[in-house]
Amino acid sequence: MSLTAATPARAAGRTVAWRQPVALMLRYAVLILILLFALFPFIWTLAIALTDKTAGTSIYAFPQSLFPQRVTLHNFVDVFRSFALGKALWNSVVITALTVLGTLLISALAAYPLARFRFPGSALIFGAILATLVLPSETTFIVNTLTLKKLGLLGTYGGVVIPTIAGAFGIFLMRQAFVSVPVALLEAARLDGASELTILTRIMLPLTKPSLAALGIFTTVTTWNAYFWPMLVLSGAPDKAPMAVAVLKLKGQFNYDPFNIAAGAIIMMLPVLIVFLAAQRLFLRGMEGAVK
Amino acid sequence: MRVPWRTTLLSYTFLAPALILLGVFTFYPLLYGSYLGFTEYNGARFAQGLDPKWVGTANFEKLFADPLFMTALQNSLKYLLVVPALQLAALGVAVLVNKQLPGMAIFRAGFYVPVVTSISLAAVMWEWVFNREGTLNWLLRSLGLTSPEAQFGWLNSEVWAFWAVMLVTFWRGFGYYMVLYLAGLQNIPEELEEAAVLDGASAWQRFWKITVPLMRPTILLCTLLSTIAALRVLEEVLVLTNGGPLNSTYTALMYVFSKAFQGFDFDYGLASAAGLVVAAVALVLSFVNFKLFNRPEEEQT
Amino acid sequence: MKRALSILTLSLGMTALSSANAQTTVTFWTWYLSPKFDNYIKTTIAAFEKANPGIKVQWFDKQDSMVQDFIASVNLGNAPDVVNLNIDETQKAAQNGFLRAVSDFTPTATLNRTFYAQSLRNFTTGGKVYAYPWYGWINEGVLVYNPELLQKAGLSRAPRSSSEMLTYAKTIKDKTGAYGWVPALKDPNTASFLGFFYAEGLPIYGADGRAVFNSPRHAALLNQYVTLFRGGYIPEDAVRREAFQLATELYAQNRVAMIVGGPQALTRIKDTNPGLYAKTVVTGAPVGPANVQTGGSMALVIPRASKNPEAAAKLAAFFTNNANQLAFAKVVPVVPTTLGAQSAAQFKVTSQDPIAKATGLVGASGRFINPGYKAPGNSDDLYKNFNDNIEAALLGRKSAQQALNDAAAYWNANMKK
Repeated sequence: MSLTAATPARAAGRTVAWRQPVALMLRYAVLILILLFALFPFIWTLAIALTDKTAGTSIYAFPQSLFPQRVTLHNFVDVFRSFALGKALWNSVVITALTVLGTLLISALAAYPLARFRFPGSALIFGAILATLVLPSETTFIVNTLTLKKLGLLGTYGGVVIPTIAGAFGIFLMRQAFVSVPVALLEAARLDGASELTILTRIMLPLTKPSLAALGIFTTVTTWNAYFWPMLVLSGAPDKAPMAVAVLKLKGQFNYDPFNIAAGAIIMMLPVLIVFLAAQRLFLRGMEGAVK
Repeated sequence: MRVPWRTTLLSYTFLAPALILLGVFTFYPLLYGSYLGFTEYNGARFAQGLDPKWVGTANFEKLFADPLFMTALQNSLKYLLVVPALQLAALGVAVLVNKQLPGMAIFRAGFYVPVVTSISLAAVMWEWVFNREGTLNWLLRSLGLTSPEAQFGWLNSEVWAFWAVMLVTFWRGFGYYMVLYLAGLQNIPEELEEAAVLDGASAWQRFWKITVPLMRPTILLCTLLSTIAALRVLEEVLVLTNGGPLNSTYTALMYVFSKAFQGFDFDYGLASAAGLVVAAVALVLSFVNFKLFNRPEEEQT
Repeated sequence: MKRALSILTLSLGMTALSSANAQTTVTFWTWYLSPKFDNYIKTTIAAFEKANPGIKVQWFDKQDSMVQDFIASVNLGNAPDVVNLNIDETQKAAQNGFLRAVSDFTPTATLNRTFYAQSLRNFTTGGKVYAYPWYGWINEGVLVYNPELLQKAGLSRAPRSSSEMLTYAKTIKDKTGAYGWVPALKDPNTASFLGFFYAEGLPIYGADGRAVFNSPRHAALLNQYVTLFRGGYIPEDAVRREAFQLATELYAQNRVAMIVGGPQALTRIKDTNPGLYAKTVVTGAPVGPANVQTGGSMALVIPRASKNPEAAAKLAAFFTNNANQLAFAKVVPVVPTTLGAQSAAQFKVTSQDPIAKATGLVGASGRFINPGYKAPGNSDDLYKNFNDNIEAALLGRKSAQQALNDAAAYWNANMKK
């Protein structure tokens, strides 16, 4: 951590030290309030998922339903088994991993010239990419499935992944990150004779790790939760369908069971939360020490 | 300024994979979709294997004569009010958790939970909050702000349902933008802030004088995304109110969605036309956003 | 090059082999049946394949995206051969030309021998039957009630007529605080209030096919519900949520005393509140002056885009035949649409278990399955307008008469023939 580097400055800041404890308490109070606002649905869901449904408590009996009397993992096992989630989990992992890698690679490559060079057509290309954010995309899935059929990608992982990895959001996010890297750093490298690819991989990418991590997390979440597109592409290959598609079956007409739905929801959410906790490290300042 | 041909070549080499994929899977279908806005293409034509038929601006005339679409457009514009609230909150929260203090990792992860919660699940929880017998009324009653007789279900109120849905958008969004702001905050040199502390600047001054100006690229990105998202809001409405009561939460995208996805009676022509109107509004707003937040000096070589 | 050639010969050989076997593969899509009924579907498919050695069945279960997937598959040229749709969707698909008429494959006489006449009428549009009727349900099939709440309200027996339901709703709410029942005032994606007119014996369409549901008698009926709603005797969520969902949820929490509906409500109550389930009493539901019931059903249709329509029709006829529908009704409390079900022994039960009793009560009453109105052309827009007007009346924005006038005017201006 960069704590050592910051120590002199922090020490100098002691002139206002008497305000620190109050400010700190306020900060935590605000944060805890927001945390409650953000988390209560998750807590309720977790409680329901852990409830032994044979005990006969109503999930709507508040506040008892928040504190299940008999705790069990049976709901999870039940969901996992009856919906054969093992295979679906694997499919989700493969699809998500491929999508995240592809998105990071393509976005970083495309964003670099857009952020750093003026070349003929640059403004037009950037404008066109931005415009895709706002244009109506409700009917794109029809055209895209037809294209995939022609390419022979319908019913494959590739068919789910390839159309989604080049997106305006990723390119825009990485461009904004590259723009904020000080020019002086690049000039120095160029004087040393570094190629543009070296500059991108050795300087730009390490410096924009937080943005890469953010993009990676967003892509993970959207890919993990997406169901309409994979369902369409894989409608002829249900054995390749990801969790989001499988879990949807929990809500079928005759399958009304809030305990299982809650358990399914938790199974869906946990992997993404774990990825977030792991990637969070990359948000922290000074990890790589390349700035100094 | 003359551009060296090597720079141009290099730029296009880097851009090539993205441009090819975007061309095939984004631009082409988007152009086709825009074309559909000027055609008659509905379930009956489709079932007979007929191609879309060019009808000029007929769909647009139909749209602007439909009171439901006008209501929907107004509601969507009103929904933009969520943007400033959401962005200020997300930036504020990002600044609060961007410190090496104990427990910050937990807060960051906690604030991100709504982003990964599936909307159908979130809907169940929020319905329970907004219900006549729900937690919100219970809270207000406990604070003495309402009486049991004056209570109502928030999602059933013509006045309040709109704001209730917006609160859910806020809930789902602030963790998302917090992550983007956290990433952006890492680009502000720590020394700047420390120097400001030495100069005796208050936290409030530091936020407005240092953080906000230096975060411009990220703020532009976030407000732009959030404006477009607000204009295109759909999921929350679908699961919470389905557009009611009395169409007070019926948004423009809801209109597009119901025309494009209403089963065998679908009308891609009308849906695409409505989508184009939303896109036109979004383009104007994006332009305003750029004018506000993108400074020319950031466009260096 | 050599490798490419060998692959080519290999694949050619494979094609030759498979055509020698003359195997036809039929793609079969069901709606919301997996994984709960995997066992039943797979067993039935196996029996079909055994009886028809030339045909292989490939089964997929679709959920939310059924109709979208269907449309997309037509576009892609790989449409399924047999598709499971409900009455409304079948009508819409047929009106837009997506389906083959069943009479292309099965003689009308056979259809008439197999299914209830009304069930066939439910799937008839433009004079042709477009589906093999499958399992159904009755909206007013049974009355499920919580005896403790009725007792507390001083009511000693179940209501016997639809007008008595209205007075019960008042009494129960005033005495116990719980709601009487949740009428289907405006279920999404349908025009459920039309069902009340049908039950009352009031016409929906005139002889010329125009909407005529705005007579003073229609308005008076709607007004009864408006009064009840504005008096707080119907849960306010009933304008926003599907009545059946809301009713089962509130019933399980002791906040609604009665549910009018099929036995499927009971399976949910058994899950969420087993204690209440054990106490629940099941009896015949009250009907309106017209002495009719409403209900819906599923069907199997043959898409126009199917490449194996003959084999598909065989599969559809097999799944919907009397024996297989009766077998399905043993797995889950559905109502068969076959004539043979009327005399089936399995519905003559004397068990006191609520689900078994309810199944027995409704199982043989497939002849009552009738939504009460036929989906008009352009039904989505018309249904939305109708429901918006019903809502405006319930929320006091329009008089009942005004609301029905506006809806009827919209219908007559926008109905596609």
